[in-house]
Formats: sequence, structure tokens, C-alpha cells
Amino acid sequence: MDTFIQLVVNGLGKGAVYALLALGFVVVFKATEVVNFAVGSLVLFGGYLVYVLRDVIGWYGAAAVGIVGAALVGLFIERLCAAARGADQNSLALLTIGVDVIITEEIVRRVGAAIPFIGDPFDARPILIGNVAIFRTQAIALVVGLVLITAFFLAFRYTDWGVAMRAQAENREAAALMGIRSSRVTATAWLIAGALAGVAVLFMATQDFSGAGLGRGTHAIALIAFPAAIIGGLDSTAGAVVGGIIVGLTESLSAQYISFDFSKSAVFLVMLVVLVVRPSGLFGTKELSRV
Amino acid sequence: MIRGRSKAIAAGALALVLAACGSTADTGAGATGAGGIKTDKGVTDTTISLGIMGDTSGVFKNLGAAINAGNQLWVDDVNAKGGICNRQLKLEVVDHGYKADTAKTLYPQLEPKVLGIVQLLGSPVLAALKQNLIDDNMTAAPASWSSQILNNPNIMMIGTTYDLEIVNGMAYLQQQGLIKDGDTVGHIYIDGEYGGNGLLGSKYYAGVHKLNVKEAKITSTDNDLTNIVTGFKGDGVKAIVLTTTPGQSASALAANQALALNVPVLGNNPTFDPALLKTPAAGALGNLYVAASSAPFSSETPKAAEIAAAYKAKYPGSPLNGGVDVGYVEGLVWQSVLTKACENKDLSRAGVQTALKSLNSVKTDDLVAELDYSSPGSPPTRGVYIAKVDAKAEGGLTEVAPLFTAPDVAGYKAPFQK
Amino acid sequence: MSDTLTKAPPQAPTRPWAKIIGTAVLLVVLVLLPVLVGSHVAYLKLAQYVLIGAVGGIGLTLIVGQAGQLSLAHPFFLLLGAVSYAVLAGDPAETPDLVSLHWPPMLAVIGAVIICGLVGLAFAPVAGRVRGIYLGVASLSLVFLGLWLGQSLGILTGGTGSGRPPPTFSLFGFPFSNTTPAPTIAGVAIQKQQRLWYLFLAFAVLAYVLARGAVRGRIGRAWRAVRDNEAAAAAMGVSVARIKAGAFTISSAYAGLAGVMTALWLDLVKPDENEFTGNYSLTVSIAFLAIVIIGGLGSVPGAVVGAMVVYGLQQFFLLGANEFGWFAGAQFGGLSAVILAAFIYGLAVVLVVLFEPGGAAAIGRRLAASLSRKEQR
Repeated sequence: MDTFIQLVVNGLGKGAVYALLALGFVVVFKATEVVNFAVGSLVLFGGYLVYVLRDVIGWYGAAAVGIVGAALVGLFIERLCAAARGADQNSLALLTIGVDVIITEEIVRRVGAAIPFIGDPFDARPILIGNVAIFRTQAIALVVGLVLITAFFLAFRYTDWGVAMRAQAENREAAALMGIRSSRVTATAWLIAGALAGVAVLFMATQDFSGAGLGRGTHAIALIAFPAAIIGGLDSTAGAVVGGIIVGLTESLSAQYISFDFSKSAVFLVMLVVLVVRPSGLFGTKELSRV
Repeated sequence: MIRGRSKAIAAGALALVLAACGSTADTGAGATGAGGIKTDKGVTDTTISLGIMGDTSGVFKNLGAAINAGNQLWVDDVNAKGGICNRQLKLEVVDHGYKADTAKTLYPQLEPKVLGIVQLLGSPVLAALKQNLIDDNMTAAPASWSSQILNNPNIMMIGTTYDLEIVNGMAYLQQQGLIKDGDTVGHIYIDGEYGGNGLLGSKYYAGVHKLNVKEAKITSTDNDLTNIVTGFKGDGVKAIVLTTTPGQSASALAANQALALNVPVLGNNPTFDPALLKTPAAGALGNLYVAASSAPFSSETPKAAEIAAAYKAKYPGSPLNGGVDVGYVEGLVWQSVLTKACENKDLSRAGVQTALKSLNSVKTDDLVAELDYSSPGSPPTRGVYIAKVDAKAEGGLTEVAPLFTAPDVAGYKAPFQK
Repeated sequence: MSDTLTKAPPQAPTRPWAKIIGTAVLLVVLVLLPVLVGSHVAYLKLAQYVLIGAVGGIGLTLIVGQAGQLSLAHPFFLLLGAVSYAVLAGDPAETPDLVSLHWPPMLAVIGAVIICGLVGLAFAPVAGRVRGIYLGVASLSLVFLGLWLGQSLGILTGGTGSGRPPPTFSLFGFPFSNTTPAPTIAGVAIQKQQRLWYLFLAFAVLAYVLARGAVRGRIGRAWRAVRDNEAAAAAMGVSVARIKAGAFTISSAYAGLAGVMTALWLDLVKPDENEFTGNYSLTVSIAFLAIVIIGGLGSVPGAVVGAMVVYGLQQFFLLGANEFGWFAGAQFGGLSAVILAAFIYGLAVVLVVLFEPGGAAAIGRRLAASLSRKEQR
């Protein structure tokens, strides 16, 4: 029983981080219908800034710069997408793949032989409650995640910006006619996705979370956010949270009760099953095609 | 019309080709060089060229750089003493970045220039080049110690294989009273030639000592082993065996400590990298024992100390790890082979093979245990160096049992042993 | 998707001289390549590698560009093709622990291609349920499935440790391996690598011709109808489900052939150790997508150009690094051949989407149009 509880704790903790990444996907998708394949490079960029600057301006300062930096890269990608006139959603998604390849290679090259861990204040100091260990990184990620996600829900519902986002997601032309500047909504969406990636990496490139520092492994973890977003539904923020938790739990429970090497495939297979049963994800809106 | 013209021209091209056809006469590639010695490729009257197919830009670049340096230090030492067979040694270095595709493309460039390969790093690379080595009768010393590759006649294994490293390691743990007959142990292994080979060792030892082995198979890029160690804790393991990469070992060790399991952990050479001592897992590494076929960097064995000093002098600032000893040993084995081939007056590729198989006691100044190549298919030696992690030692490891050979290893039959 | 993609091929070519002469010269060069390369066999390996990318790329451009179905599952079918070939043609005497059916190699190649086509067909119903980018991500799951099956079904695949050797290809008793004596062309011995070149060339030409035929024919029109507007296509009597199924079948068959070629090129059939590095990994997924984008979605000749950029450049830089000492600073964190090649094709993808969404095909058409305009003056 202890093992089961520990596995659930592990899964929830990682699920919170997956939810953050998935939220970034959803925000971009709602605003633009583009799938952001470059999430891995946003994560790496933010993490790299923290790694390089933490000895210079302290961890908290570096973390802030990392988040802002990742947000700016998100904005840069948005500008590229805007510049690609006449390209449809699939082509833009492929554009993000191209950007991802470049940024990832460059950062991995710069990191070189080092194994940079960037969770300094809270990494590798677990809290033991009875027979169950709670990894501090995971716990903080859960709290931060909850705060951010709640902030998002409130923003979507009550702020002008949130209304503008929802309007644009619902019907772009009508929203434009109502005076909503589409480019501004899109730009803020990408900024937010970048910022979320910058927050997520603070928890991902740690001993507690991934056992690896910043590197190709971090990029690989960002990939797991895909099924999380897809399971929840690419245009549902609530779905992102649910999806993240499902993925985290599937990962940890299948690692123990089926086999570890199956756990990665397990996550994608769950995604496949959800897609076949509900093609737009658990909470996504169904796509209707206009004739 | 257009199609017809294209076809006509294509037919014309084929006709040209057919007209130029012929057949190779069966020309022998051998020649006789200075001193009446038979040679084919890679040997001139003044030089013997050996190749390196290593990794200095991929996942093993730290280790690869050190092994390359070890090879070079050996070459420098040999050349300073007059070379072999009155010829100076020369290295041709290729970097494949641990990618089989890259190695496959680069190999044809290297092959005509060298007599043999003094270092071939990477099991996927070795698997991809296996046929090439056989086709070209090229002998290679792999920086890979799996007994699964001993069925390849062109391989020169330079130490104990992974399975035997684990058997010795487990015997050491039992000797120290850390495990006993009937215990449960966990083994995390990378699916593949390296990890899977280590598993053969732990299963053999478990069979002899009635241990219960809980296996956990992972891939080489999995980095978070917390869930596995959680499971092990539930199973009540008394020790954990690792045949994983350094990052993965750190994850397992950190979980071992964080979950308050705190059992001894056994790994072999590839499981440890001194860079881990600078990561958050550093505090958890104290439980790790490393059983490796070659000496750790800080070993007090005289030859090892000499190499360490030379390495630091020639390559200041380079990573300090056991790779430099590996590289030097590869060289020493080649030295024995080339010396014997020279005695036989045959420095051709076939001559190298003949010389290799006739050697049954190659000494390497105790860098590894004595090697015997006269039974292909069987590991050439069965002893290991056992070391513990020590932040104060250079290279991060302090040896606790040099040239340890457990009685159980004699009974182990490697997959291709006859 | 319609604006940026290949339109139906133009009907009446203007003056075909340039095209005929160009094609002829190309054919002559390709057939004589082993002679031109001589003893620098490494460049022949590079050319073979480009052909693998071309065959796979053609398959992917058909399904993504012509039929409009985003698929990231190519590496799964490459693995399936390679393993099927090894299992069907394997010699039980050489690999006693593994399933080996000892078919004649040519039959085994055909069998492998058919198996891949059938499995692609089996995946097609998912394409019916799931659309657009969701389909792309769903197809990713096949790559992970391939990773896991490759590891678990060791009796078929040989396991991730050492894999299994691919059976030597031979046609009517003529083996595609080193023999003595060997036939020569203009003094150059035609051994294993040269023979494999001709085999790959034959496969690639066949793949190319079939694909061009499909694109220009009824199938191509049906694909483009489904891609541009499914509802309209259905209204016109096109069976959308059948067309999608057909597209998946054909593209997986192409990937299967590319897989067989990979096995012969590498002299090894070995499932990957992880999902990111290796011949059947996500990196390969992305590389094929890059081939298709750079070449121009839906363009068959474009896929060949894309393969030259994505598959060819990297190997070319590596050979140059070795022979001429390029990238000498790479060991100390500088730019290595592999990284530079990745930069180039990442950048190429970005530039193509930004400035010329039709890819190399569109650039080629514009060049051809401006050339023929010059001729007419």
C-alpha cells in the first residue's frame, strides 16, 4: 500500500508540471489554432538562462530572467508565424518544428559536457512523512501550478484580455469586427506559453523530477506534455490540468504495475484511445466542418 | 516523344557501361616491406597506422576524450622507445558521435589507411560495423565489454566483460556482509548489449546464491528512476545493481536516499562519471560500489599513477576519468599483438589475427588482470578493480579491492564460450 | 493547405529540350556514379543514404502533401519493413534463435512492403476519426509502440543489444556482396557497395515513377479533393474513407521499402535503444517531415531534393570533416558537422514556410518558367 501511495505522490507531482506545459499549449492553440512543437526549446532556453546567470545574479534573479527570456522567445516565434502569410495551421506547426530544431541543437551544444541542475533552492531535499517521501520540487510545483492555473481561470473569466481570448477562439472574424486586435491576443498567448515553459523548467531540470539536468532529456520530457494537452483537449484549459494529472499518474503506476519500459508507450496509448473515442480530447470542443 | 528520347539516352548510357565492363583479376593485396615483413594496408616502411573510431562529440564525449588521450599517451611512449618493428606508430582519429549511421559512412574513409583499430567506442557502432570488420579482416579493440560480442573473431576484448564485473561485484558485497544468500536484489539495466549483459551476471550469481533478482528494464534516455526504486523498496531489496548511464545511476542513488531505502548499490565502469559529484545527487553517491575491469583514475597501482600524471601534464583541464587507463590498455594489448606479429614477420591484417590468437598471457602492468586470447568466445580475463565513490579522490573513485577475482567467476559460462 | 501545396501538374509543357537533356545527363551520371566515385566508396554510401531518404520522403509527401493527412509515424514503418525483411529472408542456419523463413530475398522485399502497407491500412480508421494536427500527434504513438515492440519481440527483431544481420540480398543467384572475381566497369570493381547502389537506384526510380503516375492520375485527383475539402469530395462521390486508407497504405509501403534499404545500408537490423536516437526514432520522424516541407508538400521531385538537403548534407559535412579537417574546433564545444547540418535543415524549414511555402518544387517551377520564357524571346 505504501508503494501505491508513493507512486501516486510521484505521479501527481510530475503531473503538475505536465499540466503547466500543457496549459501553455492550450493557450496558444485557443488563440491561434497552431500546435506549438517548439515547447521543448522554450523550456531549454529559459533553463539555459537560469544556468548561466544564477552565479551572477543569484537564483531568484536568474529564474526571473529565464521566465522573461522564454516568454520573449515565444513572442519571437509568434512574429515568425505572423510573417508567414498565407500559411495554414499545419504549415505553421511545421515552422515551429524548424525553430525547435535550431534552438535545441544550439543550447545542447552550449551546455556541452556539463550536467546543469537548476533547482537549487529546493532540489534533492525530500520531506519524509511516515513511510512516504514527498519530493520538495514536486510539492512546490504543485503549489505554483495551482496558483497559476487558478490565476488563469480567473483571468479568462473576468479580465478584458480573457474575454478577448475566448472571443477570438470562438470566432476570429466576429471578434475582429468587435474591435479585438487579433495580433495582440496572439502575441500575449505566445508570451504566456513561453513564460509557463520558463516556470516549468525550474522544476524539470532537477534531480527530483527528472534525474537529469538541462539537456536533451529536458526536451524529451516536454514531449510528454503533448499527450497531456491532447487528452484534455487542445482548446480546454481545464482539460490541460486533467490531462497533465492523467499522464503523470499513468506514467508512475504503469511503471510499477506493468513494466517501466512500457510506461512511455502507455502514456501515448492512453492518448490514442482517448482520441479514437473522443477525437477532440476529453474536454475539447468538437470540430465542425462548414460545407 | 519525350519519354522515348529519355529512354534512348538511358539505353545509350547502359550500353556505355556494359562496354566498359570487365572483371577483376584475382590480385593479392599483400606486399613485402622493409625487413622482409609481409604487409598489406596501414603499414609502410616507417610507420604503422592504427585507427580510432571514437566519440568526442556525442553522449560519451567525456569518456571518449579520455580514451583518445590514453591511446595517444601510449603511442607517445612507444615511439619514444623506438616504435614497434622499427616503425613509428601513427593514429588516425575519427569521431562518430555515438551514431551508427555516421560511423558507417566514415568507416570506408578510414579503412584503407589503417592496419587495425585501436579503439572502437559504442555498441551500436560496433553492431553496425560488424560485417565491415569481418569483410576487411580488420581487428578492433572495442571500448565495450559485453561478452555478447565475443563471437566476432575480429574483436580484441581488453578486459573483463560486464557480466563478470557484476558477478565479482556481488561477490564482494557478500564478502563484506552487505548481502547474504536468499536476499532480494534489484537490477536496473538498459535494454541492450551493455545493460543486458550485466543482467546475465546478476542472474548467474543469484542462481548460485539463491538470491531473488527484481529486474527493471529501461532505455538509455530514461532519466527518472524514482518509480522503479519505489517499487524496489516495496519489494524489500537489500541491494541494487545498476548497469546504467551515470545520470541514471545518480537518479537511482538519489531516490535510494530520498525514499530512506539506503541500501548498497553496485555498478560497473560505465555507471559512474566524476561529474556527478557536482550535481544535487552528490550527497547520495556514498552508497555506490564500482566494479570495473580497469583501474580507477586515482589508483595507486604504479602504472596507473604514471599515466594519470602524464595525462594531467599533457591535457590540463581535460575530464579526469578512468577512460585514460582504458585507452592505454587498448594500446598495450595492441603492442603485444604487433610485437608478436613482427616476430612472425607478418604485419598484414591476417598476421594480426594469427598473432592475437596465439597470445595467452598479455600483461598490462596490472592496469587490468592478465589477458588470455587463445580461446575465442571466452572472456580473456575475469578479475576486476572494486572502488567506492570518494569526492576527495581524483576521478571521484578510490579503490578498495584491486584485481579482485571471486571464486564464483570460474563457474560462469559466457554466451559464446566453448 | 491548398494554397501552399502542389497544384495539379501542368498540362502542356512548352519546350522540352532542357528537360530531356537534363534528365538524360542525370541518368548517365547516376548509372556511372560508381565509376565517378572510384575508390572513394564513402561518397557512394552517402548517395545510397540520400536514396533512402528519397524513397521514404516520396511516401510521406504523398500522404501529407497530396492527401493532406499529417503523419509522424514513418519510423515505425521503417522498422517494420526492416524487421519483416530480416524475418522473411533470414536463414535459420545463421540465426537459430530468431524467426527466419528463408524466402528468396526479392520476395522478402516485396513481402516486407506488403506487410507495411497492410499495417498502414490497419491504422487508417484512426485517420477517419481523428483530424489534422490531432492525427499527427496520434501517429506519434506508433513510434513509441515501435520502440516498445522492438524491445520486447526479440525473437523477431534480435533485441536492442545486437539486433540481427539482414540477409544478403541476391537476385537470381547474383549476390549483392563482395565476391572474387568481381565484374568491373571501366576498371572499377563492382563489389557490394556498388551493387547496393544499383539496387537502391532501381528501387528509387521505381518509387519515383509510380508516385508521379499516382499524382498525375485519378488517385492523385481524389487525394487532392479529399485534402482540399472533404465534404465537397464526398458530395462528388469520392469515398473519403477509402481514399484515406489508400493513402496510408501507400505511404507505409514506401516507408517499408525505405526500411529494407536502411537494413541493407547499415548491414544491421536493430531496434533503437531509446526514442530519440537511432534509425527509427522521433528524430527521423522530424527529418522526414523536414524533407517533405523543404521539397514542397506533395511534390515527388521535391522529396528527392529534400532528401539531398536533410539526409545528404549531414553525411557530406562529416566526410568533409574527416577528409579536409573541417569543423576542427568541434571537440571543444564548437560547431560540429552534425550540429551544422541540423541548423541548416531547421533553418531551411523555417525559410520555406516563411517565404516559399511550395518548397523546392515551387522554386523549381519558377526557374523552369523563367527559363522557358527566356527561350521564347
